[in-house]
Amino acid sequence: MSKEEFLNELKSALSGLPQDDADERLLFYSEMIDDRMEEGANESEAVSGIGTVDEIVRQTLEDIPITKIVKEKITPKRRLRAWEVVLIVLGFPVWFPLIVAAGAVVLSLYIVFWSLIVSLWAIEVSLWVCLLGMAAAAAVYLFQGYALQGIAMLGAALFCGGLSIFMFFVCTAASKGMIKLTKKAAIGIKSRLIGKENAK
Amino acid sequence: MDIQLKRGLLDVCVLAAIKNEDSYGYKIIKDMKPYIELSESTLYTILKRLESAGMMTVRTAEHDGRLRKYYRITETGRKRIEEFKLEWKEVISVYQFVIKEDNHE
Repeated sequence: MSKEEFLNELKSALSGLPQDDADERLLFYSEMIDDRMEEGANESEAVSGIGTVDEIVRQTLEDIPITKIVKEKITPKRRLRAWEVVLIVLGFPVWFPLIVAAGAVVLSLYIVFWSLIVSLWAIEVSLWVCLLGMAAAAAVYLFQGYALQGIAMLGAALFCGGLSIFMFFVCTAASKGMIKLTKKAAIGIKSRLIGKENAK
Repeated sequence: MDIQLKRGLLDVCVLAAIKNEDSYGYKIIKDMKPYIELSESTLYTILKRLESAGMMTVRTAEHDGRLRKYYRITETGRKRIEEFKLEWKEVISVYQFVIKEDNHE
């Protein structure tokens, strides 16, 4: 095979690559053939010394990241036609709000979950306030001699105290659960992105 | 040989091949041939990797009426060679350990 035939064959085999990448590789192999010939090999010896086109293509595919190949594949080879650009621009009022709305829904769901937890903590705090307030009221009643009201207040304060201890466990469990869920969701999204890249 | 291991070794080999003077593709392959077999397509990959890692630079110069690419090692590349020498001491001590375990069986 002549040098030119070899390079032409290689060129068509590498046509899926970005242009500059393919050109650089062709130059490299061309230089290799020239150097072999300079050392005294004849043209066909020099070409066969490089290895086969298939070998080179296989090696090339191994070391080019899949993203580059995919990008080259999905990048339009031609410029977008005028009517396609017009369609994208005219469609903007439709597709842009849709994307924003989808993002907003996800975000608001997340906020709703967290505000549920915040309200749980608010109950916990209010129970504590009740406890303190009622305890103070009980003390005042007892000092003023209203024994019955004082004891009732004290009972209510203890009830709030008990409830607040119970609420505390509910609150911490809910918060921990939410944090775990958030982490899981983040990991899920990441592995999906990475998985896509590795899978191909 | 394990692919990862071989890749690391070849990187250092190519660096060593341009350590003393600038060299070009075919000469690198020729110089390494007595020690380790290297195909053109593999060399291309290694050169690209070393260049993007900043371990060597490329320049194009005219030679005999055509263009040829010359590769020059950088400071980072020299450091890599020195690192490799240290790493290899560790590898050898691991090797000694592995051999010792074999003898016990």
